[in-house]
Amino acid sequence: MSEAAPHLVVRSVSKRYGPTTVLDHIDLTIRRGELVTLLGPSGCGKTTLLRAIAGLAQPDTGKVELAGRDITHVPPHKRNVGVVFQSYALFPHLTVAGNIAFGLKVRGAARREIDAAVERALSLVKLGHLAGRRISALSGGQQQRVALARAIAVEPDVLLFDEALSALDRKLREEMQVELRRLLQDVKATAIFVTHDQDEALTMSDRVAVMNKGRIEQLAEPRELYLRPASLFALNFVGLSTRIAGTVLAAGNGKVEVETKVGRLSALGNFQAGSPVIVAARPEQFRIGEQSEANTAAGRVRSVVFQGSRTLVEVDAGAGESLLAELSGRDGAIPVVHDEIRLSWPVTETFAFPMEMQA
Amino acid sequence: MARAAIIVCWVMAIGLALFLIAPLLVIAAASFSPTPVFDLPLTGASTRWYGRIGRLDGFWPSLLLSLQIALLSTAISLVSGTLAAIAIARGKLPGANIFATALVSPLMMPGLVLGIALLQGFRAVGFTAPWATLLVAHLVITLPYVARTMIAGLARFDFTLIEAARTLGCTYPGSVLRVMVPALAPSFLIAGIFSFLASFDNYPVSIFLADVRTKTLPIRMLQYIEEAPDPTLAALSTLILSGTVILLFVSDRVVGLHRMAGTSD
Repeated sequence: MSEAAPHLVVRSVSKRYGPTTVLDHIDLTIRRGELVTLLGPSGCGKTTLLRAIAGLAQPDTGKVELAGRDITHVPPHKRNVGVVFQSYALFPHLTVAGNIAFGLKVRGAARREIDAAVERALSLVKLGHLAGRRISALSGGQQQRVALARAIAVEPDVLLFDEALSALDRKLREEMQVELRRLLQDVKATAIFVTHDQDEALTMSDRVAVMNKGRIEQLAEPRELYLRPASLFALNFVGLSTRIAGTVLAAGNGKVEVETKVGRLSALGNFQAGSPVIVAARPEQFRIGEQSEANTAAGRVRSVVFQGSRTLVEVDAGAGESLLAELSGRDGAIPVVHDEIRLSWPVTETFAFPMEMQA
Repeated sequence: MARAAIIVCWVMAIGLALFLIAPLLVIAAASFSPTPVFDLPLTGASTRWYGRIGRLDGFWPSLLLSLQIALLSTAISLVSGTLAAIAIARGKLPGANIFATALVSPLMMPGLVLGIALLQGFRAVGFTAPWATLLVAHLVITLPYVARTMIAGLARFDFTLIEAARTLGCTYPGSVLRVMVPALAPSFLIAGIFSFLASFDNYPVSIFLADVRTKTLPIRMLQYIEEAPDPTLAALSTLILSGTVILLFVSDRVVGLHRMAGTSD
């Protein structure tokens, strides 16, 4: 059962810079071999949390434990972590092989051991033919791989990626996301990614921690995060959604009836009658026409955006509210702009969030 | 038209290069003159003037003094100038730009003004030991070169490299030594060479602080040319010139001359 044992534990870690609280009592437990993303907008504290784990930032309160060891006050060079930086931070005066060997050399490893580890790391990132190159002679994608190989070569207890893919162009980034996930799973690495890119988070991670204002708003598997967002912030930050403001009329059994400007809607949630709420649903839940156990609303099509496998239709429901529907075209014709249509979506996929949580 | 413009530019480039190098060629030629008078065209060649350099009155003490002052002031400037440059480039120092300008300002000041100012200043505080005043004055000459080069070098230095080294197992001082120093080596070399040459070559500041027993090589050379203008001085100049060329050539092998000239990155 060592797979399920906690490998990295962050306990109530806080950090302030002057009057700003960057980390607000963060708790996070990661299992061995797990790939976890810290996702959030800039300034949410995700990079500071990563730096606290690496030992490059000292938390004001709380503890960090890695592989059963309290490392809260251990300096970075004794933590056995591997970091891939956004700028890659490759040593310009060393070759590719020299960069990868660096960590083992300062650890005083034997020459034969270093050579073997460098070769292994190079073949892992498929750069064996570039061992003798200077860093300045490499492309961005190649530099990214060298940075990864350098971090992996020391066999760290945890690999930390600070926006490591954000400098690559879109196509290369998407390829690297898939390849990196496979590679990390192959070497059974435990890794934490920091990113503001929701696609990267959903693609690469076993679990995603959505961060906002120094707190983790939700820690969940990508699928659950998308289908069952725990807060309005998480809903907004990952994926698209329709959001309509309203007031709770009646509540019970985990469901609420909400009066809105587009009519009465049912949603999942626990609120007192009279509470102001936001009712939300994902675009792919919408259908043209009626369905059972569903909310409905009518309006005029404002825009139709074709995106290959799907078509996004924005409907003006009047009173300043709009509906965002994703239609595949399989279950009927795609409407055109100015069409009057009626949309419906299941009550079980409609969520109510407290109004004041809107950031 | 465009063709003609290009030709004009080419002529300018070649002409100016010749204009700048010609005097150096003349002095080199004159140093091999068989007669005591600088005269062109040469009739034959002789190296006897080179043999007489060492017998010039007071030559060795002056050479030694100039080397001492140049090496010491360069060493002190490199260490202190680099630390100051770090504060300016990295240390979130309030008013960093003002300090940067102040550190580089002696470069823009005429040497004579600097020399007189230093002389008066040293007199005012009763600091008159010639060797020590020369060294302090030469710090004023060399520091701007070091500060300018190191501020530029540090602006390009990614301080994340130090963090990367720390996470890979280096202590903080170890990271500075193993990563920052080698990564900045080209800047150190460039700063060191410019600083050394600026000090070794300086006349207008030194002249105010030298006394009869403490004369740097440039002052001594001017004295020679007033006393006995024969090709010995041309031979000495040619030697200094050769030394400089070798220094620049070796540096070019190491870091690239284009970076020293600042003509490309």
